[in-house]
Amino acid sequence: MTDNVLIKVQDLKKYYNGEDVKALDGISCEISKGEVIVVIGPSGSGKSTFLRSLNLLEIPTGGHIFFEGTDITDRKTDINVHRQKMGMVFQHFNLFPNMTVLKNMTIAPVKLLGADKAEAEKKARELLARVGLEDRADAYPSQLSGGQKQRVAIVRALCMSPDVMLFDEPTSALDPEMVGEVLDVMKELANEGMTMVVVTHEMGFAKEVGTRVLFMDEGKILEEGTPDKIFNNPENPRLKDFLSKVLI
Amino acid sequence: MPEFIREFIDKIKFIYLGDSRYLKLIEGFTNTLKITAGALVVGIIIGIVIAAVRSSYDKNKESLKLRGGIGYHILKVFNAICQLYLTVIRGTPVVVQLMISYFVIFAASDNGVMVGIFAFGLNSGAYVAEIFRAGIMSVDPGQFEAGRSLGFNYIKTMRYIIIPQMFKAVLPTLLNEFIALLKETSVAGYVGVMDLTKAGNIIAGRTFEYFVPLFTVALTYLVCVIVLTSLVSRLERRLRKSDR
Repeated sequence: MTDNVLIKVQDLKKYYNGEDVKALDGISCEISKGEVIVVIGPSGSGKSTFLRSLNLLEIPTGGHIFFEGTDITDRKTDINVHRQKMGMVFQHFNLFPNMTVLKNMTIAPVKLLGADKAEAEKKARELLARVGLEDRADAYPSQLSGGQKQRVAIVRALCMSPDVMLFDEPTSALDPEMVGEVLDVMKELANEGMTMVVVTHEMGFAKEVGTRVLFMDEGKILEEGTPDKIFNNPENPRLKDFLSKVLI
Repeated sequence: MPEFIREFIDKIKFIYLGDSRYLKLIEGFTNTLKITAGALVVGIIIGIVIAAVRSSYDKNKESLKLRGGIGYHILKVFNAICQLYLTVIRGTPVVVQLMISYFVIFAASDNGVMVGIFAFGLNSGAYVAEIFRAGIMSVDPGQFEAGRSLGFNYIKTMRYIIIPQMFKAVLPTLLNEFIALLKETSVAGYVGVMDLTKAGNIIAGRTFEYFVPLFTVALTYLVCVIVLTSLVSRLERRLRKSDR
């Protein structure tokens, strides 16, 4: 089990204003290869902060994060190298509006990995085909629907061949009828064995695809377990309360 | 041909062809273009550097403080230097800066055009820096995070992701600055540089004819500005291709 661990989080803390606001208050967990971790919890519980700490978009105030055995919270670590192996998908897509879909997908492999442009484009087109967007390669992001944008954002991250994919509420900004197409792509990715950490309010996705669910509130993991345990036998009163409000 | 038109044409012939005075005008116009173009390049380079320093200080001071190390202190010193530069340049008239450059800093040189490029470039850089900084700050922070999350370091994120978007946002404002710069170079005559305005003035002084030379000068500036405007609006249209 231990050599299978991809990310190890030790006593992670993120405080604002000295110790006034504790966004993360001592988080510890291990994420193994192939796991699909779904993080749920009320707004303000720190789940997005936790996810964004994993690739240091948020700099923690305390604790350690080990990614593939390297302590990335160590100042001497070059985080940029490790970020290339951690794909991230944002709530608001964050596609580059001045570039075509193809350019969005190839700029990182070409500029960072020194990939051949034609080679990178070939790979990008293959990935686009897999998410059903092969005909939109030359479109600009403003010409795409929300669901299409998010699918492009997912394959843009995949172009770097990451070892883990981080999803920060990937469906929260979508029209309801577009949520399905994005979740389908994520399901397929999970089925192929991609390690994923997903912050979401989609309980259906958590139940169906998650291998482990973390429930967070007030900067702490209050309960974790298989989807079955979390949704059918919750123990923590705060979790019970939360589920009674979101599930129907 | 009516009498007064023929008289007018004769006058123009006298003004410009006598003593080959038109050469002065050409020399002046060339120098004006040289100074403007040179100052433009210098201004943009200074502007990008300063805007990058200032905006990265504004954006990153919190996280750099958290990460510790000397990075924060270095950036703070650079930011203070930039701040000082902006205050001094924007707080003094460009003519004074030009005269200080020519008579004090480069007292040993008599290359007025080079000194002009230096002084106007330094001056323009301060304004361009603030335009760029506003542009960088106006780009959605999510763009920056997307770049970083792909593994681009700070400088590469700026170069490949942020600055191209920033350029598009600031193009109209930047054009205004360029137009102002072109017209501002008309004070280069203060340090004896033969620019367009100075040439017109000299011709007027030699011939005691003011109407024709000064209107020639004015018209030349006007045409330059119109050409510049149309070039930029064409570029803007091309950049807007991605806006649907």
